Amino acid sequence: MKKILATSVTIIFIGFLMLGVLEFPTFGSPDNLAYNEVAKTYIYDSMEATGAVNMVASMILDYRAFDTFIESSVIFTSLIAVIGVLKRGGTKYED
Amino acid sequence: MRTSILVNVCKMVIPFIQVFAVYVMLFGHISPGGGFSGGSILGASFIMYRYVYGREAANQRFPYSVLKVIASLSLVCYGAIKGTVFVLDFYHLEIFEVLKGTPGSMLSGGFILPLNILVGIIVSITFYLMVILFEEGELDESTNR
Repeated sequence: MKKILATSVTIIFIGFLMLGVLEFPTFGSPDNLAYNEVAKTYIYDSMEATGAVNMVASMILDYRAFDTFIESSVIFTSLIAVIGVLKRGGTKYED
Repeated sequence: MRTSILVNVCKMVIPFIQVFAVYVMLFGHISPGGGFSGGSILGASFIMYRYVYGREAANQRFPYSVLKVIASLSLVCYGAIKGTVFVLDFYHLEIFEVLKGTPGSMLSGGFILPLNILVGIIVSITFYLMVILFEEGELDESTNR
């Protein structure tokens, strides 16, 4: 009974999510929302706006700089987690 | 593993690796590269130094107490620099102007060059400490202050 209930709930949720897929734009059609003026702006104006020749660098460190900041924070946080798990002989806890 | 061939070859190769890493970091806004790739090359050279010369020499040259301070300060500096620029841009406060320079020259691109260096420092130190912890299971107690 539990399994049947779980399966039917899962199927209902999958069908609900698939309703969103019906609204997707056609793959590769030129009037998709993704093909707007943003890419053109970045390609033609990024050098005047940021002063960097490398467009990727101007993207990750100027327009999307906080994204890179959080990426570095993720690496740093993982280091802190590894230190917390593996480092020996640091803290002496009183019992 | 510490044969004299390995030690002498690494003595010649490690400076080239580190110069290349600094080049990749400094020219990230002109050519392909940047902080992450340059930092991983620099971290690889640190790891190579430790494996070849042993943990005492490496601990003397890159002490853990210094490395953790440098990494944390780099992260704080990154957030401070870019946060200042974003906040000032958002409120249209023109307190100082970000110098763009001539595109294509070394000193151009505003804050991209220092941010690349800071990211490279964070990534290299993180990779180095990660490898120490996973390979040896601990950090050296004597350099633990």
